[in-house]
Amino acid sequence: MSKRVVVTGLGLICALGENTEECWNAVQNGVTGIKEVKTVNAEGCYANLGAEVDSPNEKLSGEDYDRSSLLCIKAAGEALKDSGYEVTEENSDRIGVIIGNCVGGAVSIDKYYTAKKNGGEVKNTDVLKMPAAALANNVAYHFGLNGTTANIVNACAAGTISLSYAADLIRSGKADAFVAGGSDSFSSLAFAGFHGLHALSANACSPFNLSNGITLGEGAGILIIEDYEHAKARGARIYCEVLGSGVSSDAHHITAPDPEGNGQMLAINRAIKNSGLTVNDIDYINAHGTGTAKNDEAEFLSLHTIFDDNDHLSVSSTKSMTGHCLGAAGSIEAVFTVKAVCDGIVPPTIGYTEENLETLKEKAGNIDFVPNTKRVKDIEYAASNSFAFGGNNASIVFAKKPHDIPDRANKERIFVTGIGELIGKPRVEISSDNYKEYGIKMAFYRKLDRFSQLQLLSGMKALKNADITITDDNADKIGIVVGTADGPLTEVYNFQKNVCENGTAAGSAFAFPNTVYNAAGGYFSIFAGIKGYNVTNANSIQAGLQSLCYAADVIRNGDESIMVATGTDENTDVTEYLYETLGVMDKKLLGEGSVSIVLESGESAEKRDAKKYAELVGWASAHKSVEFGKLNGSESALKTAIENACKSAGVTPKDIDLVCGFANGVTEVDDLENRVFADIFGNIPTVRVKNECGEARSAASAEQAAYAAKQLESGEYKYALAAAFGVGGQYSAVVLKKV
Amino acid sequence: MNHEEICAKIKDMLVENLRIPAEELEYTSELFGDDIGLDSIDSIEIIAGIDNLFGVQMTGAARENFQTIETLAKYVEEHKE
Repeated sequence: MSKRVVVTGLGLICALGENTEECWNAVQNGVTGIKEVKTVNAEGCYANLGAEVDSPNEKLSGEDYDRSSLLCIKAAGEALKDSGYEVTEENSDRIGVIIGNCVGGAVSIDKYYTAKKNGGEVKNTDVLKMPAAALANNVAYHFGLNGTTANIVNACAAGTISLSYAADLIRSGKADAFVAGGSDSFSSLAFAGFHGLHALSANACSPFNLSNGITLGEGAGILIIEDYEHAKARGARIYCEVLGSGVSSDAHHITAPDPEGNGQMLAINRAIKNSGLTVNDIDYINAHGTGTAKNDEAEFLSLHTIFDDNDHLSVSSTKSMTGHCLGAAGSIEAVFTVKAVCDGIVPPTIGYTEENLETLKEKAGNIDFVPNTKRVKDIEYAASNSFAFGGNNASIVFAKKPHDIPDRANKERIFVTGIGELIGKPRVEISSDNYKEYGIKMAFYRKLDRFSQLQLLSGMKALKNADITITDDNADKIGIVVGTADGPLTEVYNFQKNVCENGTAAGSAFAFPNTVYNAAGGYFSIFAGIKGYNVTNANSIQAGLQSLCYAADVIRNGDESIMVATGTDENTDVTEYLYETLGVMDKKLLGEGSVSIVLESGESAEKRDAKKYAELVGWASAHKSVEFGKLNGSESALKTAIENACKSAGVTPKDIDLVCGFANGVTEVDDLENRVFADIFGNIPTVRVKNECGEARSAASAEQAAYAAKQLESGEYKYALAAAFGVGGQYSAVVLKKV
Repeated sequence: MNHEEICAKIKDMLVENLRIPAEELEYTSELFGDDIGLDSIDSIEIIAGIDNLFGVQMTGAARENFQTIETLAKYVEEHKE
């Protein structure tokens, strides 16, 4: 039987209020938070509405962080307090932080660039507010949480995927609890981008009704997701059960959903199946319901196709009141879904006139879309759906009472069956020949920013190296994990620069899709045709190695049989400028690239007689909270990651005969590696891949594992270990074994 | 500004804003056909670019005006004040 996972705390801030009760009261009574925008200059734009949080940064939390972090800390504080979870020195490493996010520090980039342009004051440390990678770290540091962290940056599905990942990690015993959810601030980036795409509604958004565009919002939704036994032992109040979830990709288009809804249906059906339920068990769905014509049509179709025989299903879109809070949307809606289950109240979709209600009757069929007024009804099982740019879909199920869910965890052996490297310093050369090799046409690759180009090419190279052809039969058995430190920061920075100089209305429709961190993984899935799990984790330099840990967990959870685990980071003039401004390293040390590693279950590898580089036998991530941007004081987590990776491999550090390290030429980093490796391994060979590829960040941390795998294949070594660091105290380590 | 100059400016804009390799873009290349493969998002960008360069509004203009750099330039010449 699978472990019971429950919700023990809730925290919420959005335009409807600054705590869960305020927001829940408003949303069930059909109160809207949509008003004229205050924080973005909408001059010259055809739309000027938004759902902003009234409180300024200073009122949210005391730190000098990006607004997304401050919103998140506010909601996390409420959720932790609500859960009564007492974080102590002894238990702090068993509670981690997983946060979904879309725009990263866009508001801070806007502020930084505007101040610079106008001769205002900027600080070098403002650079630390820019990447999404700071978010989970800032929350962990604020509350002294030392469990593992992740920043799930899958745009509008991020908030739901983060909850799914948290529940999966708890089920596999890797943590007792997570502060999980999502956060996003109201940004000129998103406003200008959706405006450029003509996807903003001139009026308040009207999901499943007028469907003429979205209205943006901001906020954070946090749930304390906890192991039931742990919650019971501490006498916690339990809101509800977290059952199964499903994650998928459309492999269709970078901004538009598959009009046939296949990817959406895969995610929903997976969530129901993984919950041990059937479609007729579901009582309520908090829909994605953005209010764009394309989303609403595809979602109508998905819901009708799956649920037309269900005669008691209510569906609503609370975005009609909160606006679309992007990376926070899924988690804000999860809080509402949990409250709906607990209180037996379905919040409405607002905005229907009498005339609209007539039209709805025709479109709704058997499904109750809860127009305008809440529905009081008993809810046993409820789901929350999120669909995103890049074609990422996620769905998660909550239940009022305990329900046995199928235990899908397996003990499959996991092999490295393909490697695709594209890495170097200071830059990697990319020409049209690279694309021709994989039959990628100009009409496709010209859309890609550098970050996406690197990702696509290394991913295709790895698939080719593994001799994998994607077909209708295997497309949904293959997934993707992308790890990155800085994501598409150049594209974001340039987009923001243009908006600062030329106004919100000048936001580029061409550039905007690439500013979301998961675009790279999205393009890869679209070109390759990969339809399974798809996630991007922005978590500093070690994210490339954490990808392998994440991907291995996905295989062991029985979700996919093949995973492409990648680390990708670009080096551009903007990258060099930002690193130099921050002053942490000489720009000459920087490298860039993308390294993709195909991980495959033993069963799948045997079946197709795949070449095996090495076996992935152990993996672990660990965290010791220090300030984002720093390392000092987090050494214990590096040791923990290495020890736990060895332990899960069933070996001791003495068995390791090759170590791939993370030293990058920065004294503090190199000293840390020397000290800890000497302490754990004594005197064994350490390979420093960054001598060759520079500090290519996530690409380099993935390359450490790729290098180890290749050495095991060709050399006499038996066990190799790779370990990587992330600023702020996040570490990952993997143990590979000769086949 | 003569026809050739307008074409050159439009080409530069397409190369810059839509990352089309300059060497693959002729004045007569089919922008939305197999040659270049532009899509609806690109057309939004072309409208914004033409407005920026020449102050000519192409919102709602018929599809055939977007076929090639030549046809875009012709539209600009006919509608430029």
